Amino acid sequence: MIDALRSEWIKLRTIRMNWVLFMIAVAFPLVVVVLVISLSDVDEIEGSNVIGLLTGTSVITAMLLGVIGASTITGEFGFGTIRVTFAATPRRMVVLVAKAIITVITALVVETLVVGVGWFAASAIASARDMPIEFSDSASGAAPVVGVIAFAAIVALLGYGLGLLIRNTPAAIAVLILWPLIAEGIVGVVLDSAGVDEAFKWLPYQSGINMGNPELGENGDESFGRVASGLYFFGVTAVIAGIGAFLTRRRDA
Amino acid sequence: MITVDGLTKRFGRKVAVDGLGFTVRSGQVTGFLGPNGSGKSTTMRCMLCLDRADAGVALFDGRAYGQIRSPLHEIGVLLDAGYVHPGRTGRNHLRWLAASNGLPRTRVDEVLETVGLTTVGSKRLRTYSLGMRQRLGLAGVLLGDPHTVILDEPANGLDPEGIRWIRDVLVHLAEQDRTVLVSSHLLSEMALMASELVVIGQGRLIEQCSVAEFIDRHSERWVRVQSPTVARLREVLQAEGAEVAPVDESTIEVRGVTTAEAGELAARHGVVLHELSTQTGSLEDAFLRATASAQEYTAGPL
Repeated sequence: MIDALRSEWIKLRTIRMNWVLFMIAVAFPLVVVVLVISLSDVDEIEGSNVIGLLTGTSVITAMLLGVIGASTITGEFGFGTIRVTFAATPRRMVVLVAKAIITVITALVVETLVVGVGWFAASAIASARDMPIEFSDSASGAAPVVGVIAFAAIVALLGYGLGLLIRNTPAAIAVLILWPLIAEGIVGVVLDSAGVDEAFKWLPYQSGINMGNPELGENGDESFGRVASGLYFFGVTAVIAGIGAFLTRRRDA
Repeated sequence: MITVDGLTKRFGRKVAVDGLGFTVRSGQVTGFLGPNGSGKSTTMRCMLCLDRADAGVALFDGRAYGQIRSPLHEIGVLLDAGYVHPGRTGRNHLRWLAASNGLPRTRVDEVLETVGLTTVGSKRLRTYSLGMRQRLGLAGVLLGDPHTVILDEPANGLDPEGIRWIRDVLVHLAEQDRTVLVSSHLLSEMALMASELVVIGQGRLIEQCSVAEFIDRHSERWVRVQSPTVARLREVLQAEGAEVAPVDESTIEVRGVTTAEAGELAARHGVVLHELSTQTGSLEDAFLRATASAQEYTAGPL
C-alpha cells in the first residue's frame, strides 16, 4: 500500500494543472476574506463574519478539490494510463484506495491551509484596525471551521467517486457541479413549493453544506445537526465511491 | 515461460478471442502475428488481467498475472506507447511507475540512459514524437529488469532506424534467456525479430511454429527460366504437365516442376538456358495466404 500511495502522490503532484487548481482553490477564499475585512466598516468586523466568509467561499475550494479528485481517475481512463497502472499493480483495490487516501488527505491539507491562513490574515487586519476577532464571537465557535474542512474532503472524495463511475473528465465534473447547483436546487424548489420542508435535510449536498454553516440551527432550519449531516453526506459519498470502485475492479480496464 | 490455454473473450456477441492456446518459451523472441483486428491486443490485455477473460487461463511460470504482487520485477509490459499523460515529463512518468513497485529512483535514470532519453527526460510527454514514446515505453518495460517481456506492436510508427533498434534490444533480451513476446501485423517486420511465431486470425490460433517453417509452408515457389528459344522449352514443359506463364519474349515462370527437373528437361532437348532460378513469394504473400480466411476487414477491388 505504501508503494501505491507514493506512486499516486507522484502522479498527483507531477501534473501542472493540479497545481493551478490548488492555487485557485487556496487563493479565492483568501482574496475575498482579505478584501472584505480590509474594506468593510470597522464595526462590521466580527469573528462570526470572518468564519461565515471563510466557510462560504470554501464551497468553491471544495468544488475545485472535487474536480481534482475526479480528474485523478478520469485522466487515467482518458489517457489510457489506467492500463499501465493496473498492469503495474494488478490488485486494483490497492490502487483505488491509495487514490482515495491521497485525494482526501490533500483536500484536508488544502482546506486547513485556507481556513488557517484566512483566519490569521483576517485576524491581523482586524487587529490593525483595532477590532480584534475571536472564534468565541460566533455562537458555534470553531465548529463550522472544522466542519468545512471535513466538507471539502468529502466533496473531493465525491468527485473521485463520480470519476470512478463516469470515467470521463468533462462528464464527471459536470455532474459534480450540476448536482448541487441544479439537481438539488430544483428538487429543493419543488419540495419547497410542495410545502415539504422536512425533506430538505435529505438532500446530500445541502446536508454537507450544513457542516460548515456558522448559523446552523439558529434560524430554525430543518437539519440533522452538524455532525449527523456530515455523516449523512459522507455516507452518500462513500456509497458512490464504493460502487465506482466495485465496478472499476470488475470491468475491463 | 508463458502458457495460454483456452483463452476466450467476448465483447457482447462478438467473440474477440476464441479458445486460444499457445506457449512462449524463454531464450527466443516469439512473434505474435495476426491481421488487424485478429485479437492480438485483446489477448495481451486478457493475459495481463486488464480485460476479464470469459474462459481460459494465461500463466506466467505457473501463476496468473493478477496473483503477482509487484509484477514489474518479473514481467515488463508495453501495450501502447500512447498510454501516458501528455502533461507529465518522461522522467516523472517512469518515477510513478517505479514507485508503484518499490523500485528506486536511481533505476529511472538508468533506464532513461539505456533507451537514450536522458537529455529529454525533463521534457513534457506532449513534445515527444511517437518514436520517443516507444523508447519511453521500453524504458518502462526494463525498469524492474524483468525475465519476461511483452510488447504490443512496438515497431508501430517507428522509422527504420527505430525498428532496427527495437529488434536489437529484443534479440539481446532473448539472448539473456528471457522470455520475449512481441506482436505485430507485419510478417516482414516479425521475420527480422522473431524466431518463433504464434499466428492468429479472428481470435483463433492458425499455427505456432518457427519463422522458417511458416514461410516454407505458406510461401509459393516457382521456377524462372530465360532462354533464347523459350517457345521450344515451353512446349516441352507443358508436355510434362507444368504450368507456364510468359514474362517477356525470352522469359517464363514455371510452376509444377523443380529447378532441377526444368534444367534436366532443357538439357535433354538441347535448349540453351540464360537463367534458371527458384523464386519465392514474399513474406507478406505467405502471411496473407495463411490468414486469408481469417481477415477481419477485406478491401473491395479498386
